[in-house]
Parts: sequence; C-alpha cells; structure tokens
Amino acid sequence: MLARQTQSRTLHWLGRQLFNRDDPAAFFDPLLERINPMWVQAYTPARVEQVIEETADTRTLVLRPSRRWSGFKAGQHVNICVDVGGVRRNRTFSLSSSPILWREQGRVTLTIKRLPGGRVTNWIHDELQAGMVIGVGEAFGNFLVPEPAQPVLFIAGGSGITPVLSQLETMAATDYRAPVTLLYFVRTEADVIAREKLQALAARYSALTVTIITTHEGASPRYLCAADFDRIPGIRARQVYLCGPKGLMDLARDLLHQRDIDDTDIHSTFFSVPQADLGKEALGGQVRFAESGIDVGSEGDANLLDIAEAAGLTPQHGCRMGICHQCSCRKTSGTVVNRLTGQASGPGEETIQICISVPRGPVAIDL
Amino acid sequence: MKHMTEAQLSELEKELDAIRDEVIADLGERDARYIRRMVRLHRMLEAGGRVMMPFGFIPPVFVAATATLGVAKILENMEIGHNVMHGQYDWMNDPALHSQTYEWDTVCTGDSWRRTHNYEHHTYTNIIGKDRDYGYAVLRLNNDEPWKPRHSLQFINYLLLSVFFQWGVGLHELETEKLQRREISLRDKLPFLKEFARKGGRQAFKDYVFFPLVTFPVAPIVLAGNIGANLIRNLWSSTVIFCGHFTQDAETFSEQECEGESKGHWYLRQLTGSSNFTGGRWLHILSGHLSYQVEHHVFPDLPAHRYPEISGKVQAVCQKHGIHYNTGSFAKQYGTVVKRVLRYSLPERLTGTVTTA
Repeated sequence: MLARQTQSRTLHWLGRQLFNRDDPAAFFDPLLERINPMWVQAYTPARVEQVIEETADTRTLVLRPSRRWSGFKAGQHVNICVDVGGVRRNRTFSLSSSPILWREQGRVTLTIKRLPGGRVTNWIHDELQAGMVIGVGEAFGNFLVPEPAQPVLFIAGGSGITPVLSQLETMAATDYRAPVTLLYFVRTEADVIAREKLQALAARYSALTVTIITTHEGASPRYLCAADFDRIPGIRARQVYLCGPKGLMDLARDLLHQRDIDDTDIHSTFFSVPQADLGKEALGGQVRFAESGIDVGSEGDANLLDIAEAAGLTPQHGCRMGICHQCSCRKTSGTVVNRLTGQASGPGEETIQICISVPRGPVAIDL
Repeated sequence: MKHMTEAQLSELEKELDAIRDEVIADLGERDARYIRRMVRLHRMLEAGGRVMMPFGFIPPVFVAATATLGVAKILENMEIGHNVMHGQYDWMNDPALHSQTYEWDTVCTGDSWRRTHNYEHHTYTNIIGKDRDYGYAVLRLNNDEPWKPRHSLQFINYLLLSVFFQWGVGLHELETEKLQRREISLRDKLPFLKEFARKGGRQAFKDYVFFPLVTFPVAPIVLAGNIGANLIRNLWSSTVIFCGHFTQDAETFSEQECEGESKGHWYLRQLTGSSNFTGGRWLHILSGHLSYQVEHHVFPDLPAHRYPEISGKVQAVCQKHGIHYNTGSFAKQYGTVVKRVLRYSLPERLTGTVTTA
C-alpha cells in the first residue's frame, strides 16, 4: 500500500475525532505539498535527482525517497504513483540499484523502458524531469538471492535485467562466494541496458560471468537453446532466476525441465503475475453494482475491476494485479474466483480485491 | 409536468447525453488542479480560523475567526464534500478525493449521505412520497399533503431546521415519519443510530470540547466562535438547498406519473424539479455550484465547476423543447421559497389555491 497509516493509537484516535480520517498527518498535505513536496504524509515522496538515458527507449531514474521509507532487498520492486493528466496512476517497477546505495547515500534507482502505448512509461520518458517528486510504496517481492550462497544462473531478457542489476551489484559488494552466471538476451546491441555497469561488475567480481546474446542481429533470430546451458558448469546445482518476456521465461523453463531441474530451484518475477488455472467451470455471470444501481452481464474470466470500468464506474484502484489492496470492495453475495490462487470465495459477504476477482455466477458488489 | 412524447423524450436524452460525453472526454489536469486548489484553500481557512479563534477576545478578531471557520466549513461541505461524494472526482483515482471513502466535516455520516442523498433524493427527485428531501418530512410544501393545524407554525420549524441543519441532515435516515406510522421500529434503526451517535459525537467533541479545552483560558470565546461557525454553515447550506428545489416554479411529481419512466423522462423530471440562482463566481463556489442545481441534477457526477460552462447548452436544449429553465437572482428565488413555506402553512381555503391532488 502506498498510504502509510499512523502508528500511534492516540494520534489515530485524535485524527478520527478532529479530521474524520485515519491519517491525520495527511490532512495538511495540500498545504505541505506547496511548501515542500517532500513533506507529504499520505505516501512516501521521492525526489527525482537525476535521469540517465540508458538506451533509446530506457532511462534510469535516480530517486531520493524520504528517509521514512523502509528500504528493500535486492531483487524487490516498488509501486510508484504519479499524476498523469490529473489521474493518479500506480505502477510496479523493479529497483535496479543495490540496497547498499540506499543505506549509504539514501538513493535508489529505477530503470524503466518505454512501452508502446504505455500511459505511465511514456509520461516518465516525456514529462518526468530531475527535481520533480513522485510517490513510492514499500518494497515487496521474493525474487531474492539465496542465502547462504549457492551457485546462481540469471536468465534476463530486455528490461528484465533491472532486478538482476540490483542483485549482481549486491553480490559483488558482499563478495558472494559461488559461481554466478548471467545470460542476458537483447534484440540488438543498441538495446543493452547498463552495459558499462555489467562490464565493470564482471571485471571486479571474478565469480561472475556475463554473456550478452543479441537475438535479432543475424539472418534468423537466435533464441535461448540447450547449447547455452551446456556452457554453464554445474548447471544442475544452480538456483535459476528468470526475468524477462513471457516467451523467454517459458522457453527457459522448458529447457530447464528437460535437464531435470526442479521448479523449486527456478525463481521468476515480473509484472506478469502468476495466473492460476481458473478451472473448467463456467466463469462470468450477472454482476450487480449495488450502490450505483447498475446490473451488467460478464463473460469468461474478465475481472470485476474491468467489468466495473466497462460499465462506466470509476472504482478506486492501484496496481491492478492483486498487490496493493486499494481496490478492495465489499462483496455482498455470490462467488468469485481469485485469479492468483484459483481459489473460489465463499458465497456470503466479504471483502475482495476486485482487480483479481472473476465472477462465477451472479455477484453483488457494494460499488 | 410538461407532456412530451416518447420520441421527444429520447431526443432530449440524446442531446443531454451529448453534453455529458463532451465533458467526460475533456476531464483532466484542469479539473484536478481546480479541486486540489479548493482543498488547499479549505485547509488554509480551517487552520487560519482555528489559530485566530483563541484571540477572539479582540472583537474584530472574533468576527474574522468565526467567519473564516464558517466559510471553511461551507467550502468543505459544499464544494468539496458534497461533490466528491457524488463521485465527481473518482476518475482521479486519488484516495483522498474518492466518493466511497470520503468523510466530511458535518454530523451526517458519508455512508448515510450516500444512501439518502445520492441514491434516494437523486433517483426520486421531487416525487412526493418517495423523495424524502422534499420538505424533509417536517414541512408541508405542496397541497398533496392535507393541511393540519400544526402546519400553521411551520415557519418556526423551518427556522429551527435551518439553525440545526447539520443535525437534521444527520438524522434524516432515521425516517421519523415511518417510525410514527409504526411502519418501522426503532430497533431497525439501531445500526444507523449507532453510526449517527459516533459521528455526531466526534463533531461535537471537536468543536465544543477539544478546541475550547486546548485553549482553556479563553474556552468560552472559542466555544462561542465554533458555535457561530457551525451556525453560519447551517444557515447557508440549508438556504442553498431550499433554493434548489422549493422555489415557486420547481415542480413536484406523483409516483404514478414516474412509474417505469424512461431515461429521457428522468432527465425531464430533473430539469423541471430543480432551480438555479444567479450570482458571482464565489457565490457559486460557496454553494458548491448548487446554484446550478438544474445542471447538478441532470449530471450529478460531472465536476461541479463545469456547470457554468455547460449551462448555456442545457438552456438551449430546454428552450428547444419548450421546457422552463428555472433560474433567477438569489434574492428572488429565496423570496419564493419563503413564500412557499408560508403559503402551505395555511389551508387552501385561506390561500385560495385549488387542490389538484
């Protein structure tokens, strides 16, 4: 969650009495924001200190979050919130710097690629400048390097390199004593993100081997293949970390399975949230948005947030992938299936995250 | 109500929808800047009023502090709270400005308001027997309700309702008239009463206990100033709201004529059941743009500061269909409200009106 609730019970109580809200400190945000945007209380503000162009479509933001931010572990990501055209938008990005940089200098970096048609990434590329302040949430995710040290293989594709950069930097700084191999897939040489940093890391950290593979520079595409794994010593003893486009991740998983590498040794991350098998039962159904008095039908595995928006409603939401709970709503009747777990809810009244809830039969929501 | 054919009504619907779509497509930075500016202004006024109040032993400061806090409450209730809770700014996805979670600085809880106002009043606008906002079950404002002797003193009721308006609105969901008719029991209303007591307690604690106590030596002055600020807000908001639906030309409707109505018919009812008043920019802002009650009732979830911009188009649509667009100066509209309250305090045989019900 981006909102930080006050810890003190007395303050919390007083906040409710005086301002009718749980976060009394944020009552003065509209004024504080004007004086110094870094004093805002409703979310953790982070000043953009520098913008570094990595490639034609990727830039790295050097951020200085307010000191009350709790920090992170290498490989984790954060939600950021920005106002684009008057609309507050939340997106998740991996932190690309090492936690040591945060501890020592109070800085973190995000490395962000422009996505075709992406509202937020394009805004970050076209509008965001050094000196501006954005909101960051607490770090989350368990794409973490093994402790104690074990041999590791990273397979990254495109901007999937970002959490790996943070991990490699941390491993080098802490002298992680086990072989570490990175297979980094990019379309062309021009798409390599943080080339100098990778080269410098490989030079000073002898356990690390970096192989950059361009997929679209030859006559025919050159994808990950079994031979790539033949060159990696002791691959069966490695913990494998996958981060990149779905095609690369699926291919890697298949090839790893062929070598009898267990799923428990394969770690993956990224914004393609795991999609549970939703079962063969018929999904979709009549949805009643009780507060607005709107009834709409839904088909298939459309989630309730999409259904509500298609019906002209504008429910509060955040990450749209079941992480931030900002879209939590009261379901008063009916059954929904959780897209992440595949679990069906009970039929009665309960709070659900509408962005990952798929109706199974008629459902009534307090919206 | 003016008679229109289904074809005319669907024409009306299309024209009003077009006005709405145009605004929706244009929502953005400008609207966000506007509401944030209003919120900032409210924080400044509230903080200013609270800080000045303890120095109220100097008479001009007392007047300034009370007025500042009163205006702060008006701005928060009318232009911010009321409009945010209508969902006018939900598209901004800002948790601090979202209709489902906003809680305003008045006795009525946000949840109760969403039920009685957003749902009941805006769906059944001016339908006698269904819109409980019509006369607030306290006043007799048309001759559908038979005259009783107690109505002869209703001007006093009206004044009392205005003075204690926030408590009246807060208790609106209690449905005392149904309790009296024994259609519901007090037990049904217990969850509501609990909510009401909690929110009312909070509001009273803040203005009448906490702020006087923390300024102990001048507690009576702070208490008096806070009472004054609440009174200013109560009188102003009740006046604005009365001018929105109880003017001379604001029509009322029967349940039969609205049964199974079309969207176009609903639009027509909103247009003819509401009334505007004219004035300067700040008069509109301080009334939460309910001075554009007609536009508000037709498009309750469009950001209110857009109403002045679209008012011309709405008037043109009305003119085209021969629908009376009810507007006039604040003084004129308010005069007709007072006249209405007085006129229906007497039976028809004395005022000379014919019973049509």
